[in-house]
Amino acid sequence: MTTRTTMTAFLHSWRVAWRITRLNFKARLEYRGEFLLGIATGAIWQVSIIVFASVLLTRFPGLGGWSSTDVLLIASMRMLAHGLYVLFLGRVQYMNILVQEGIVDPCLIRPMPVYRQIQLNFFPVNAIGDLVVAVGLFVAALQRSSLDWTAGRIAYVVAGVIGGMLVEAALFTALAAAAFHFPATSYWSQWLEELMGTFGSYPLSILPKAVSAAFTFVVPLAFIAYFPAGVLTGHGGDMGVPEALAVASPLIGLAAFVLSRLLWNWSLGKYTGVNG
Amino acid sequence: MPLTAVIEARGLSKVFHTTVRRPGFAGALRSLVSPERVAKVAVQDVDFRVGRGELLALLGPNGAGKSTTIKMLTGILTPTSGEAVVAGVVPHRDRERNAHNIGAVFGQRTQLWWDLPARESFSILRDIYGVPEDQYRARIDEFDGLLELSEFWDTRVRHLSLGQRVRCDLAASLLHDPPVVFLDEPTIGMDVVVKEQVRRFLRHQVEERDRTVLLTTHDMTEVARLAERVVLINHGRIVLDGPLQEIRRRFGGTWQVRATLADPADVEEIERIEQRGEPALLPGTTGIGVLRREGPRVVFGPVGDDAPTVHEALKAVIARFQVTDLALEENDLEDVMRAAYLSDVPAQGATEEFAVQAASQGG
Repeated sequence: MTTRTTMTAFLHSWRVAWRITRLNFKARLEYRGEFLLGIATGAIWQVSIIVFASVLLTRFPGLGGWSSTDVLLIASMRMLAHGLYVLFLGRVQYMNILVQEGIVDPCLIRPMPVYRQIQLNFFPVNAIGDLVVAVGLFVAALQRSSLDWTAGRIAYVVAGVIGGMLVEAALFTALAAAAFHFPATSYWSQWLEELMGTFGSYPLSILPKAVSAAFTFVVPLAFIAYFPAGVLTGHGGDMGVPEALAVASPLIGLAAFVLSRLLWNWSLGKYTGVNG
Repeated sequence: MPLTAVIEARGLSKVFHTTVRRPGFAGALRSLVSPERVAKVAVQDVDFRVGRGELLALLGPNGAGKSTTIKMLTGILTPTSGEAVVAGVVPHRDRERNAHNIGAVFGQRTQLWWDLPARESFSILRDIYGVPEDQYRARIDEFDGLLELSEFWDTRVRHLSLGQRVRCDLAASLLHDPPVVFLDEPTIGMDVVVKEQVRRFLRHQVEERDRTVLLTTHDMTEVARLAERVVLINHGRIVLDGPLQEIRRRFGGTWQVRATLADPADVEEIERIEQRGEPALLPGTTGIGVLRREGPRVVFGPVGDDAPTVHEALKAVIARFQVTDLALEENDLEDVMRAAYLSDVPAQGATEEFAVQAASQGG
């Protein structure tokens, strides 16, 4: 295949994805009440973080050696990464339901990668709520930040957020790989989401070493926002891992996502269907 | 046998591994510690070919392995052993290329977007398959003409009746003009009028569009109207592959031709045949016997494995005798299928155990 045809195919697949997204969005829009409720749910879900952030900013000088503005950057980067994850890749979390409903079977006989079809299954209205809150918090974090926002830092914060999105997507994709065979993964999925919401927004250095190590190497939520925000705010050396590892967070996110996709594909190959 | 096989199953087998639950609470605990895994053979050594422009009905009782076979042929499932080739592609190995060659309808589950009007699902599929706009329009018009879709295609799929939904699914499966179509119970839940409409549609697709169709159904009228050839599958194995008459011959041999003979000489001849004892075969024919006689009224029926169909027998009787009155009785296809489903007639190339059984039955 020449570069040109590859490019055309690439553009074509994005155009198709965009059209399907628009139709899905329209479909959700037609149920007005449900649509608005969906946005509100997304926003309300993040309320505990907002309460935490405002208490942090008004009552405390900081947390575990981090100034309150720096902590706010972690919280807002995580929320932004999470909102983008829900928007672009969050359907994997419904994998067990999609398998049960038999949505996977027709995906296997259409000329589009199954993972993409799963992602295009419906429009995640709640992501709008998530993202509105996240952007608000992020803007607040930037305003309070005394950092010099050079082009390098801007690029790194973007890479960090995308990397964070990929780490979250990798974790849920890995779980979704199991969902092909075990429907009970929904409990794990809820637990994981809870865990990330609870611990993803704080400097993990306030936790016992074993716990923060677990959040780095077992459930690697440290890479979602804690490490990238720490690198940006000059905590690179005191996060309990070599600084290079923290700096590499976006790349680690990418690698984790690629690995989870390979696992997912492998699991899809072993798919035995429903009612089979 | 068709010259070029478009669908080909070669020794296709599928084994599912499941965990058996032991009964009772203690059993459940034991299963937790040491689960008992069993292999369930859903499909075993299935071989058949379907030629271009042919409609084949895959028949069998519930759980016989029909859907599993279709899922392997469409690439949804990977066979445990054996090979499937559809339009020159091994489906599970090259899913995207296969997707362009096949259309599929699974009557029990829709492939349309649940929350969108059917017409918007069509346009999504147009984009996914890259169907040029003019062809898309022409096909949509054609399908609307045959299936009357425009009455309801602006309704969300979740609000459609089953019959409407399956018609939309049928249209959706053919939008990209696939040469091969798999239909798993396509007329499920339809009223008689719509069923007839769908049958006409399918015949049109086979005869006018030269598509190869593999169909499963429990509706015997459908089989009689549509299928030139049937493959009967039971317990995951092929029991029979041939024209519908073949099934009748094997499992529904209970036809009767009642004739009143005009010529006394013929009546005497029948009397002589009867006196010769069982089986009272009609000379010069194979498999037609005299079952009963009351004066000039004779009842003919099938005898042995080579018995002809009721129509063949009718022809033979008319050709041979002068009759004043004639009636025929035949098991309907439902009865034939019931007999076929309940019978344990082994497949050709079955395992030894079955082969021995077959030999002892003389079959």
